[in-house]
Amino acid sequence: MPKELIEIKNLVKIYPPETLAVNQVDLIIKEGEIHALIGENGAGKSTLMKVLYGMIPFNSGSIYLDNKKIDFKSPREAVQAGIGMVHQEFMLIHKYTIYENVILGVEPTAKFGLLKQKESKKRVQKIIDNYQLKLNPDDRIEDISVAARQKVEILKLLYRDVDILILDEPTAVLTPQEIEELFARLKSLKKAGKTIIFISHKLNEVLELADSVTVMRQGKKVATMTNEGLSKADLARAMVGRDVVFSIEKEAAQPADIICQIKDLSFIDNHKKKRLDKLNFTIRAGEIVGIAGVEGNGQFELVQVISGLIDNYQGEIIINNNSLKKLSILERRKLLAYVPQDRKNTGSAQALSLIENTIMTHHQINTRLTGKFDYLLNKKASRDLTREIIDDYQVLSSGPAAKISSLSGGNQQKLIVGREFAMATDFILLDNPTRGLDVGSIEFIQQQIIKSRDQGTAILLISADLDELFSLADRLVVIHQGRITAEKLPEATDKEEIGEYMLGARRDEIR
Amino acid sequence: MKKQIITSLIGILIAFLIGLIILKLQNYPALESYKQLLNYSLFSRFSLFSTLNKAAPLILTGLSAAIAFGSGAVNLGQVGQFLIGAISVTVAGLFLNLPPVIMLPTLILIALLAGALYAGIAAFLKLKFGMDEFITTLMLNFIAQFFTLYLITGPLLDKKMFSPMTEAINRSAWFPNFSGLDFSFILALIILVVIYFIWNHTKMGYEWKVMGQNDLFARTGGVKINSNYLKVMLLSGALASLAGAMLIMGGVQHRFLKGIGANYGWDGVMVAVVANNGVIGTGLYALFFAMLQTGAMGMELETSVPLEFVLVLQAITVLFVVASRESAHLLFNRLKMYFKLRGIKSKEEGQADETTN
Repeated sequence: MPKELIEIKNLVKIYPPETLAVNQVDLIIKEGEIHALIGENGAGKSTLMKVLYGMIPFNSGSIYLDNKKIDFKSPREAVQAGIGMVHQEFMLIHKYTIYENVILGVEPTAKFGLLKQKESKKRVQKIIDNYQLKLNPDDRIEDISVAARQKVEILKLLYRDVDILILDEPTAVLTPQEIEELFARLKSLKKAGKTIIFISHKLNEVLELADSVTVMRQGKKVATMTNEGLSKADLARAMVGRDVVFSIEKEAAQPADIICQIKDLSFIDNHKKKRLDKLNFTIRAGEIVGIAGVEGNGQFELVQVISGLIDNYQGEIIINNNSLKKLSILERRKLLAYVPQDRKNTGSAQALSLIENTIMTHHQINTRLTGKFDYLLNKKASRDLTREIIDDYQVLSSGPAAKISSLSGGNQQKLIVGREFAMATDFILLDNPTRGLDVGSIEFIQQQIIKSRDQGTAILLISADLDELFSLADRLVVIHQGRITAEKLPEATDKEEIGEYMLGARRDEIR
Repeated sequence: MKKQIITSLIGILIAFLIGLIILKLQNYPALESYKQLLNYSLFSRFSLFSTLNKAAPLILTGLSAAIAFGSGAVNLGQVGQFLIGAISVTVAGLFLNLPPVIMLPTLILIALLAGALYAGIAAFLKLKFGMDEFITTLMLNFIAQFFTLYLITGPLLDKKMFSPMTEAINRSAWFPNFSGLDFSFILALIILVVIYFIWNHTKMGYEWKVMGQNDLFARTGGVKINSNYLKVMLLSGALASLAGAMLIMGGVQHRFLKGIGANYGWDGVMVAVVANNGVIGTGLYALFFAMLQTGAMGMELETSVPLEFVLVLQAITVLFVVASRESAHLLFNRLKMYFKLRGIKSKEEGQADETTN
């Protein structure tokens, strides 16, 4: 019987003013196990781990490590006690090499502050060899893949002699092949006696990897289970509190006329780096084209080029027979609706009301919002439009005058999606429209996307979530380093194959 | 809105209490001083009108700052724009002489244009070369100060006088005075209403407001950031400039004196900050600070508390209104959190009791 390494008792964390993020949670982590912590976005799993890691203070309860009561004031103390965490966003200096990143903050120094390079480098190399991390310590971070960067984060912790590793959604940015590799590494870490806490909301991964699973919902712990005979449906029910449909229902697409045409689209950024390289594809009315790719392979630029935030591209983007070149953002917005990936900074102004967030773009295009004269805003119509979207898109709020920041992420996103879909354009650009949302909101937004497609809209869906692409897209375009490596029908391929194209391991000759 | 008023009042009250302690410590008759402060700023027609006249330019420089800050443009050039407005109507008032019905609107227009152009320099430098208006407007202040000083000590100097000033402008350029109430105040009120309307009822005002909160969101939504920024800067400059014109066309001097209206520019920035860039709030705080400044003279006269005490009082008010706005929010959140935590704990004890019974 392995001993109980960490014991969390009755922990409460409230974010001021009243967000109860962690509600009286008890949790036991045993030595040498892989413990998965699952739950929806906002269930409190990341908060709980940040508390354990000393990043944020808690309000009441207690934490024991090896039967000693602990209360870390900072992550540094946690690391000294042997607890380390890898965040979703990596904390690495891109211009530095792997070795420099690893020793940063714990530089081994000799007399006069001189760096003991030889010795520490040897140690870094030894850890890499021991755990077969397959990294070259002299590579710069900017030159290595996302998966490799993640391994550097793990390496950083191992170098600091951490025994307990907390990984926050480590697979979110990886391809299927890279996930397999990561799991192999994690298993070998476990064999070496490390304890791993693994935050996830992907049930397949949890079932594959974990020894025990703790499910959280709305800040509370639902249960801790040993991973024996568990099924995906069991976990999903515990997570959401009801049965969950795993695949969204949709009819076969009936593509009609071409709405959007991308022709030889290239973009070179300020550093003379080619971000988009001769992209060619079309989107027809009534179909969803999905863009798959590891993040940072041109998706960001593709979105900016279409939405108009970048305007110096080569090639053509044609929507409804209008070339987007030379069109201002406002003129483009008459042709396309756009749901950005960054809800807080690009999709809304958090300090303003629902009304002020809803009428954006509509105020110039939707004649209904114009008052007596062209320059006037019709306040009543603005409120009515907001009310309609609140009703149609099931936005939970205290009313149209409330600040958008008082809404949950899912409800904010529903409002934003509602605003854009209400533009009634023939083309919609969706950039990770369901990222970071709860299952209910995801289901709802995905249904709206399908509904809009069935009404004859042409939709371009960019998503980092392969499951989402497979359940929504009618056609998949895979990009790698700004180039299209494959165009596939989802029913004629699978995630593993797409993964190979995403990594650039395979490439089709496209036209 | 209600919460805003309450926190403002609390801030003002605390500031006055601290002022009271300062007065007491220095052995001034504290309560009597406050009484005189109010007497000489509110409680007679003459003192009330003095307060209103003093408030007029302050409302405009306040609006100038509030409009700019609220739209994300950091115009700190009110001082310079104010002087440019004052000097341009002085020049026009000296060399033009038309019937008042034409003269007054013409000079107002000249002031608006001059200020807009002067702020437009900073806007142009930003749009063309990416130079931060935070710096350029400050630098333009110095240029305006020395340029006007040159004019009133050189070409426009009234040689009959012992200190640098211009001659008085033509009578046709004087604002009418309604038994002590200057037309400036009425003009300021009209402008306040116009700005309120622009800010709350036009598409342009909506776009400015969004830009002030998140310009990336505005840009993504199709708002033309550059042309809106230019409009905001021109309007902001025009307002500060009109405030300067009021000091020449209104009041009693009708001439450009050295050091004229020294405080209005920065006081306007202060008013906007205290009012959190709200249009109505800017008007109210302008009145409040004008009241303090007007009453200060009476206070000095009656209880010999130095005029400068009011500057201290102003500073404390700014600190406490702004601080109480922020801290009330934090305190409120903390309290809410505390009660929620207690709620959880008491429920927990209740459950524990049940299980032990």
